[in-house]
Amino acid sequence: MTENSRTGDSLYRKEPKIYPRQVKGRFARLRVIAVWVLLGLYYVLPWITIGGKQSVLFDLPARKFYIFGFTFWPQDFVYLTLLLITAGLSLFFFTALAGRLWCGYACPQTVWTETFIWIERLIEGDRAKRMKLDKAPWNGEKILRKVGKQAAWILFAAWTGFTFVGFFSPIRELGHSVMSLSLGPWETFWIIFYSVATYGNAGFLREQVCKYMCPYARFQSAMFDKDTLIISYDVNRGEPRGGRRKKDDKESLGLGDCINCTLCVQVCPTGIDIRDGLQYECIACAACIDVCDQVMDKMGYEPGLVRYTTEHALKHNEGHVIRPRIMVYGALLLAILLGTIWSMANRVPLRADLIRDRNALYRELPGDVIENVYTLKITNMDDAPHSYRLTAVDNPQVEIDLDRPLDLAAEEVAGIIVRLRLPRAAGKGVQNVELELESVDSPEIRREITAKAMLPLGIGGR
Amino acid sequence: MTEENRELPGRWCMCKRDFGVAFWIAFLAACVGTFVIFALLDPEALNDAWVLPWEMGPRLAYSLGFLFLYLVSLFASGLTIFMVRTGPRRGHARGEGRRPPPEIREPEEENPDLDLGDLK
Repeated sequence: MTENSRTGDSLYRKEPKIYPRQVKGRFARLRVIAVWVLLGLYYVLPWITIGGKQSVLFDLPARKFYIFGFTFWPQDFVYLTLLLITAGLSLFFFTALAGRLWCGYACPQTVWTETFIWIERLIEGDRAKRMKLDKAPWNGEKILRKVGKQAAWILFAAWTGFTFVGFFSPIRELGHSVMSLSLGPWETFWIIFYSVATYGNAGFLREQVCKYMCPYARFQSAMFDKDTLIISYDVNRGEPRGGRRKKDDKESLGLGDCINCTLCVQVCPTGIDIRDGLQYECIACAACIDVCDQVMDKMGYEPGLVRYTTEHALKHNEGHVIRPRIMVYGALLLAILLGTIWSMANRVPLRADLIRDRNALYRELPGDVIENVYTLKITNMDDAPHSYRLTAVDNPQVEIDLDRPLDLAAEEVAGIIVRLRLPRAAGKGVQNVELELESVDSPEIRREITAKAMLPLGIGGR
Repeated sequence: MTEENRELPGRWCMCKRDFGVAFWIAFLAACVGTFVIFALLDPEALNDAWVLPWEMGPRLAYSLGFLFLYLVSLFASGLTIFMVRTGPRRGHARGEGRRPPPEIREPEEENPDLDLGDLK
């Protein structure tokens, strides 16, 4: 073992900057659609109003999330948990099915990098022009193009940061604040923070994020198996690679189908050679499939030298994409999804907690009546006002006295003093009293509450 | 664990050292975090009947706070060690060590008939 390999770092070599070549084709089109849909949702959603409220708004100070007409309260924490479980399971499901679909089409890093590269191409030109421009000495044109690109990037990043904050602070008011230069300090901070992050990630870091920073890139190999659809180079068909003329007979030259044009390397946004086999740097963008298919077409060969296939299919010419693993993940996903929908549909927009008055156990009133005092914390989670009624279930002995009527405005939280009066003969010690809180106008909104009532133990003749 | 790691001198293998570092640094970070948080925050203030229906004593609040910070720090330091120990430096998909960047040439160089056309 040499000194170099022991320290590791001394083998470090700066890798050249990657200028991905533009590519057209099936998968490129798919990614453009994904970029439009995802960024469209991101930039447009906060401007849409549903039921008088911003369609997606995370109102942190009020501890309420408005999502497509639903209002989520801190008590709806379970939905957040379900969302995270669904996200995790989906990652397992899609990775087992077809590898890094997330990385290639949906990851914000990919989506924003695509957009930044598109801006770059618009201003600086295609790959060859960009490489030439970077090598050229600084002159008028270079300054103009470079400044133009940076300005466009910064503008786009700023708009991204503004939209991000618009998910947390009503975006129309935020827009007015920006226009009148009256932004609050925290809004200003977060707009700048997110803008700088977008600019840095999509403009500068790019594939470095995927190669060095992303944990999913390191973990995903654990979710693969031999039946996972991955982007592969068909070694048997392609090798031995080599240049040729179109009219050449490849068999007599002893060549495979790969003409070694290295276009698959030039289109790769992470700068790898797919012909080296599956590498964790591959973000499965399928640009190499698109470009290789076109080259094969030009050479008059069958497409699919680089294609989505499985390890099994490549080795034994058989593949079973639908397998127990996929079915189990799929079934779990479906079950959680259906459960969430069911529970959302049956959600009762009312929360009630009965908290005992800590200062007194109970109070004895004339006529052998015992009084227990509570605070009823009641939350009307609906977006309409409701009047409620509090009754004891099947217990005519219980008398309930409230300090104010149970009329709550939309999304109001109230603390109401409740006095429960029971005859002394109702029992000894702690008694459970079943209560029911029900909306007067819509009886399907109801909650059952158990009140712990204290009664004298009756020791010492009392 | 790669070969070179095992050959580093010391009583502990690299893997043990990694775990030791992760646990100890996470502990230190959690200690500092707990000091700062509970210097600013009264654990009584955490008793919000609206969120938690039962009352949490100060000892439980301090302990849970510390354990939570410890877990979060442990997660961060563990993941950090994993990320720096794996990755590009460790080489190739086929285990052939570090590879050079792939070779790039003009497509027409070896294929004079290839008309790139709209691929240009």
